[in-house]
Amino acid sequence: MKHASTKHQLYGWLLLLPATLFLLAFTYYPTLATLAKSFFSQGTAIRPAAFVGLENYTFMLEDDVFWQVAWNNVIYALFTIPISIALALMMAIWVNSRLKFKSLARMSFFLPTMLPMIAVANIWLFFYTPEIGLIDQVASVFGIESHNWLGDPDTVLGCIIVITIWKEAGFFMIFYLAALQTLSPELEEAARLEGASRWYYFRRIMFPLLMPTTLFVLINAVINSFKLVDHLFILTKGGPDNASSLLLYYIYEVAFSFLDQAYASTLTVILLAVLAIIAIGQFVFLDKKVHYQ
Amino acid sequence: MLKTLKRKAGSLALATTLGLGVSTGIATGASAVELTMYYPVAVGGPLTNIVDGLVEDFEKENPDITVNAIYAGNYNDARIKALAALKSGEPAQTSVMFSIDTYELIEQGAIVAFDDVVETKEEKEWLNSFYPALMENGQTQGKTWGIPFQRSTIVMYYNKDAFRAAGLDPETPPATWDDLISAGKKLTKDGQWGAMIPSTGYPYWMFGALSMQNDQVLMNSDGNETYFDAPATIEALEFWKDLGTKHGIMPEGTIEWGTLRQNFLEGKTAMMWHSTGNLSVVKKNAKFDFGVAMLPAQKRRGTPTGGGNFYIFEKTSAEERKATMKLIRFLTEPKRTAEWSMKTGYLGTKPAAYATTEMKQYVADFPPAAVARDQLEFATAELSTYQNGRVRKLLDDAIQAALTGSKTPKEALEGAQKQADRLLKRYR
Amino acid sequence: MSAIELQGVSKIWGETTAVNNVSFSIDQGTFAVLLGPSGCGKSTSLRMISGLEEISKGSLFIGGEDATIASPADRNLSMVFQNYALFPHLNVEENILFGLKVRNTPKQLQKERLKKVAEQVGLEQLLDRKPAQLSGGQRQRVALARAIIAENPICLMDEPLSNLDAKLRHIMRVEIRALQQRLGMTVIYVTHDQAEAMSMADKVILMCDGKVEQEGTPEELYNKPATTFAAAFIGTPPMNLIDPVACGLDKKISQNQQDNFLIGIRPEDIVLSNENGLKAELISADYLGADTVVTAKIQDQEILVRTPGKVTITKPTSTRLQWPVKSVHVFDKSTGKRNDNIEVLPI
Repeated sequence: MKHASTKHQLYGWLLLLPATLFLLAFTYYPTLATLAKSFFSQGTAIRPAAFVGLENYTFMLEDDVFWQVAWNNVIYALFTIPISIALALMMAIWVNSRLKFKSLARMSFFLPTMLPMIAVANIWLFFYTPEIGLIDQVASVFGIESHNWLGDPDTVLGCIIVITIWKEAGFFMIFYLAALQTLSPELEEAARLEGASRWYYFRRIMFPLLMPTTLFVLINAVINSFKLVDHLFILTKGGPDNASSLLLYYIYEVAFSFLDQAYASTLTVILLAVLAIIAIGQFVFLDKKVHYQ
Repeated sequence: MLKTLKRKAGSLALATTLGLGVSTGIATGASAVELTMYYPVAVGGPLTNIVDGLVEDFEKENPDITVNAIYAGNYNDARIKALAALKSGEPAQTSVMFSIDTYELIEQGAIVAFDDVVETKEEKEWLNSFYPALMENGQTQGKTWGIPFQRSTIVMYYNKDAFRAAGLDPETPPATWDDLISAGKKLTKDGQWGAMIPSTGYPYWMFGALSMQNDQVLMNSDGNETYFDAPATIEALEFWKDLGTKHGIMPEGTIEWGTLRQNFLEGKTAMMWHSTGNLSVVKKNAKFDFGVAMLPAQKRRGTPTGGGNFYIFEKTSAEERKATMKLIRFLTEPKRTAEWSMKTGYLGTKPAAYATTEMKQYVADFPPAAVARDQLEFATAELSTYQNGRVRKLLDDAIQAALTGSKTPKEALEGAQKQADRLLKRYR
Repeated sequence: MSAIELQGVSKIWGETTAVNNVSFSIDQGTFAVLLGPSGCGKSTSLRMISGLEEISKGSLFIGGEDATIASPADRNLSMVFQNYALFPHLNVEENILFGLKVRNTPKQLQKERLKKVAEQVGLEQLLDRKPAQLSGGQRQRVALARAIIAENPICLMDEPLSNLDAKLRHIMRVEIRALQQRLGMTVIYVTHDQAEAMSMADKVILMCDGKVEQEGTPEELYNKPATTFAAAFIGTPPMNLIDPVACGLDKKISQNQQDNFLIGIRPEDIVLSNENGLKAELISADYLGADTVVTAKIQDQEILVRTPGKVTITKPTSTRLQWPVKSVHVFDKSTGKRNDNIEVLPI
């Protein structure tokens, strides 16, 4: 009996082995290696890496660019997350209703999601271009003067945020649409009979019932607000003067343009810590408020 | 079950070892030299075909040498991939990389100087056959580390039709900063700017031209000192900014590198400063009469060079170095250099290339092709220092901060200089 | 004055007419059942009364006032849905109070009504449970409670018992009926189960193909089915409809054109006999406990007979069938309508 159970356990562990190996090799080892690297100086052929304790971290605290990209990232997250989620929900409700061109509307909302971010950035680059860009050409019809959207530090981050929302809302819409279709139409009818307005129904019934989806989408949106930097490569390269740079893009720059992997590791550790704290917060605090069916 | 697993793992390991053994066996057995070359191609297509064709010709002439050309994205990607490959023990003997990567590559101990590779007198002469301006970026510590190949400079493209419409002589483009301003004012009207100098992507490069024209280089040849806060440098940036804010002949804020060519082709600007690399595209797509001119002068004419050099990696055998030299010399023969230049629009890297009959004919038919060459006389090295990525970014940020008005040119450049000093101190 | 009146109401979706020119009225305090097979338009009619579905043609009056285009909330009615439509994230109390909260009813009144209603439906102990933690019957009670707490004079029920097992269904039938009578509500109840209709209704409205086939008390529908459809739909097992010519009964009808009629006899009105009557063959028997439903055959015509006690048939047996004259119904063959002008002779 005991023998059989040992064998059983061994079997279980063997089944887990491939996944465990991959996790170890591609998730845990790199994470730990990054953490370790952040305590060393960047080695070169002439100067080998040496343990420097918290020097990289103190450098970070004094690095103006770090504070700027961190602040940019906060603004980026504060705008992209709620707006793209709200927009996704609105679009989902709209295309879930009885609509003549339902599939066309659904497809056109989802289209941005299917395009690679690099392609999206190239499209928007020509939207934003002063004079010849779509936005300025439309604006000129109404007599609005041309504006250098990406060249102005006051508007560039906003431009980046708009693209991200445009890209993400359609993706999140799909999840909301799927969730909406599991809601029984009887619920809305029951509420209508009681005299509940559409807004009341949305606030008290639909939105609470969509909470599991919202949580899922929220986590994705938060992760993306730190992860989605592809368009920066095409559009602004973080400029002008870091006005549109985000944390991950800065990490890329430090690691591959400055070839300073030690400092890049330091920044990565901070990014990981921030994401971990947010994830824990979401699961611990929001989970209690979510109704799962 | 465990037993079978173990046995399978064992046989797998055996197979791998055997496989390795076999492949190395073949490589040595043929006694041929196999070279791996990394090559940056930001956009695929024609450039890849041209390089492939050249490599094929080389292999035909040298049957004992095989060349694997690995295309690796833009300059940045090529450098990252080549360095990563070297680190992981993958063999690579040579690569075309950014001409300004020299210090970085030396610091990484990745490359050897050509002076240590050349042997014969003939080879030493070959080393001196290039335009000196194109050699600058590849030379430091009294040695040559990079051989110019895919090189460009900045030139001024201008719309001759727009010049005529504004009452300007289309055959005398602005030759000085003052000319640029006065011509720009005449050319600026509703829907058309006088001039555009791109300030995203590679602002430091464009700025290298402006500061040079004001007779000020941006760094020393040891790559451990910058002159960002020199009065002439600050003046140059003030001039750039004034084109937009004071003279109103250029849009304010930064100007996008990627869409500038389109702006010029659509007539939204009468003049643009851009890489010679755009010449063939502009030639093909311009629906108006256009001209190419040297950049205007303030105290003198000036432009930085740009583009890619050949490097030889340090971890190579004597035999491989010999074969690599053969390859590089083959690719830089005057005839081939001329062919390469005509097909791509990049510079012919040596005077002998322009002396070939084909090139003479081409320049006679299409004079703009000679402008870049003639300008080489005034050209200088592109910004290149130790800690190149960081130093470059300091300057880029300073330029953009000044152009967008968040700092004055003086503040911005002084700040950049202070930080650059901090970074470069330990290399002095 | 009737609580609800429909005048020539139709529902048209593009090419299809789901409800076709339906008119009926229901008096205050009546338990009315809309009965019919699936697809007959009964649910659509109910939804038009509730306002969840627009009325394509015709008029609706509620309490004497025209409510044809009134919004659902303004019709002063509540509804119990087939799948209960409970809000899964709200507990029983919040579900029941939903409507009162929407209307901003004072807290004190909410509390009083909740207490009363919970008692009436027996949910006092379950108020803080979520719907997922309740049994089917309990959910049904919550739905009921939510419908009656508003104290609307009219309550609509759309097949509310179809998800319950037979035993629970029976209990709930009795409870709903009792509740309706105690509160004096007007109820319109949709079902396809004729037994449910017979046992609960004050008035049955039988529908077929979007039209009202017959309306009346359960007794009227049973005793005097207006059409062959009504005859065949009501009763377990339904009425036998016999072609008199095929069964050799043509002489028993005092009319010349005998093949224009069908005669209907309820299985429970037929008596098995050894002496007199129509010759038939017993084929099979279906034992139900108190009685047995026997399948008999006269030539090719199958006839069901309900007979007390247990009957066992192992092989085809000859017998004779008898019935009293007064239990014979005559219908026009072409229209299917009842015809009481025909005299029927005894067998």
